[in-house]
Amino acid sequence: MILINIDSLSTTELQYIAQQEGLDDWQSLDRRDLIDALEEAFGEQDDEVPSALKGKINRNRYCNSLTDYRGSQQNVQDLPGVEDLPQSYLDTSIHLLLRDPEWAYAYWSISPATLLMIFGEDGQEQSSLFLRVEQTDLVSGSVKTFDISIEAEDAQWNINLPSMGSRYAVDLCYRDKKGNEMSLARSSTVETYPAYWQRHFEQLTDNPSLFTVHFSSLITKEGEVVDNAVLREMAENLSKGVM
Amino acid sequence: MSNHSIAFILNAHLPFVRHPEYPRFLEEDWLFESISESYLPLLRMLNRLKSERIKCKMTISLSPTLCCMLSDSMLQEKFLKYLELHIELGQKEVTRCSKEQPEFLEMAQYYLDQYKQNLCDYQDLYRCNILDGFKMLENSGYLELATTAATHAYLPLYQEYPRAINAQVELGVQSFLTTFGHLPKGFWLPECGYYPGLEDTLKYHGISWFQTASQSMLLSPDAVHGGDYRPVRCPNAVAVFPRDFQGTSLVWSNTTGYPTDKCYREFYRDIGYDLNMDYIRPYIHEPGVRVFTGYKYWAITGQTDQKVPYKREQAQKRVAEHAKNFLYNIEKKARVMESSLEKEPLFTLGFDAELFGHWWFEGIDWLEQVIRHAHAKGDSAMFVTPSSVLAKESSSLQTVRPAFSSWGQGGYSAVWLDGSNAWIYRHVHKALERMEELAIRFNDQASLKQRFLNQAAREVLLAMASDWSFILFNRSSTEYAQKRLKEHLKNFNVVYGNMCKNAVNTEWLVKAEKRNVIFSDIDYNIFNPEH
Repeated sequence: MILINIDSLSTTELQYIAQQEGLDDWQSLDRRDLIDALEEAFGEQDDEVPSALKGKINRNRYCNSLTDYRGSQQNVQDLPGVEDLPQSYLDTSIHLLLRDPEWAYAYWSISPATLLMIFGEDGQEQSSLFLRVEQTDLVSGSVKTFDISIEAEDAQWNINLPSMGSRYAVDLCYRDKKGNEMSLARSSTVETYPAYWQRHFEQLTDNPSLFTVHFSSLITKEGEVVDNAVLREMAENLSKGVM
Repeated sequence: MSNHSIAFILNAHLPFVRHPEYPRFLEEDWLFESISESYLPLLRMLNRLKSERIKCKMTISLSPTLCCMLSDSMLQEKFLKYLELHIELGQKEVTRCSKEQPEFLEMAQYYLDQYKQNLCDYQDLYRCNILDGFKMLENSGYLELATTAATHAYLPLYQEYPRAINAQVELGVQSFLTTFGHLPKGFWLPECGYYPGLEDTLKYHGISWFQTASQSMLLSPDAVHGGDYRPVRCPNAVAVFPRDFQGTSLVWSNTTGYPTDKCYREFYRDIGYDLNMDYIRPYIHEPGVRVFTGYKYWAITGQTDQKVPYKREQAQKRVAEHAKNFLYNIEKKARVMESSLEKEPLFTLGFDAELFGHWWFEGIDWLEQVIRHAHAKGDSAMFVTPSSVLAKESSSLQTVRPAFSSWGQGGYSAVWLDGSNAWIYRHVHKALERMEELAIRFNDQASLKQRFLNQAAREVLLAMASDWSFILFNRSSTEYAQKRLKEHLKNFNVVYGNMCKNAVNTEWLVKAEKRNVIFSDIDYNIFNPEH
């Protein structure tokens, strides 16, 4: 559910949305109370919405109404023979997706046969599951690993990537009661590269012309830097010398 | 003569939404609003300039899903009804406003005239297929047309599936060839989503250039010389046009861009919500679901409900000021850059096409004024397209590796991979693996099985569209996006399940072919690695 530029909406619009949202007293509330009630209702639904998006829609795409209320008559009906999607698939695999240079997202599934092998028929075997993240430095080739404990019911994890300039892969592993470890599945790899200007930012600080070429396109006239964590870090470092 | 060039690149794209099972469907309005408020006015504006011999060039990427919908006879009929309905509403509005709200009469009449003009252009000039309009402008040198991924998939999240990346690119190219009669040179990366190595697939399919997000140059592992102000080449020679964030933000910024000016038209105040239900019911959706009608009479005014009536004349004056201000800012920036660059700067300005006219009501007027002001100063040649740039200076571009990037929040993949939408990849990836498996196990099938497998390929491609994950992230139309995603994935599973039993569900097939009728000549073998 979305709520767009709430302060700009007319009272009629606010009442209509409140009615859709099932607020009991929408007819008796004055404008300020309507806004408060709606902000509270939408706030509860939007707890996970990034703060930048709260209370407004991003760039108005796919927006031909003020909320996504659509009544009960128009729906996408299933075609004959379709079945619900499974929670997971009956194989043992792990996938790694690069979200940004600092985070990757892993999802996995473990087949019933493998679960049986790990935890026994009664599920009581003292085995444990974990993710082993392998980090290979792209320059030196040195390899480091770290482990993340997971539970049998887990199926996904956001993994922090310690440094740029590395290749990452994740093994879905288990450890039996004797401490023996085994990989059940290995993800494909993802890579993060440090930027040239991250490694040579002193050239940017020493040369205003270079700085202008590279940074001025990324900052609005009002001083807003393009939304990017690596860039912001570079800008902060540079600001000590140049900006 | 100007000391710089400007490459406007507009991305015209909508997800495939087509519901023959309903006479009117809420999300089909996305298409109809875009045709009515953006595409037809844009074509009119460019044809007006052409008739006055005012030269300009810009690039438009028309997505395969959009092209498919624009040439679909059922949607064409529905759009005619949409126009007729809006003309009827306009006539009622002119009568109502003249009696009750004369301050809105001018705009009611204006909208009515626009809808009538749209109907005339759509029926008489383009015979219900506006793609011909874009093609004619391409032939006369005003447009460079480009393609994009088949269903506008956000490609970095499918890097693990090269056959899927290849299918998205190959079908994007093939669809363009079928629609426009020649191969495209340019490829709009959906959401500016780039990952290192993507250029290899683009090159394989004959693509000469693509655009990237602004930070793709500063974050490159190489020492880029020209920042975002010069195109570069990938090591495999495909050219890259990085987007100028600062120049784009003059328009695009949510807080300070030109469209936020208080005298411009307010997008969110619409008679679909303001007028009483009995009056407006025939023009909104069943059962009494209020939506935007396009009849909007208020100016932005500020963050208040106390809006002032929109004054078109006043807004047009501001459009002219903003056009001059834009050219002034770009020229000023070019002068700053002169001493730092070896060649004159190129400002690559990429936008969603629907920004102009639909979201920013005055946007097309602004584009026209920018072009007219440049023409008046003798600077028409400043407007270029990537291919016209490459034709002149193909050999002098620096070779660099762009960085992984997108134009979404955070600059990477966070928009399309967050808590709201990460669940989809488990299913879409599995479907892609299985599609490849089917293509290998059942290669070169004929007749019914071929149709069955072709439909599976359509379903999995439709599930890859970036739109659904974006909508889930953005919390708009989430119910519909979820249903569409699940529909395509469940449909795919019907084929997979049946083929594993060496069976075909013909009832499902016939209905699925009718509903999701896209890429009519698709060949599922595209997912076979040996294809």
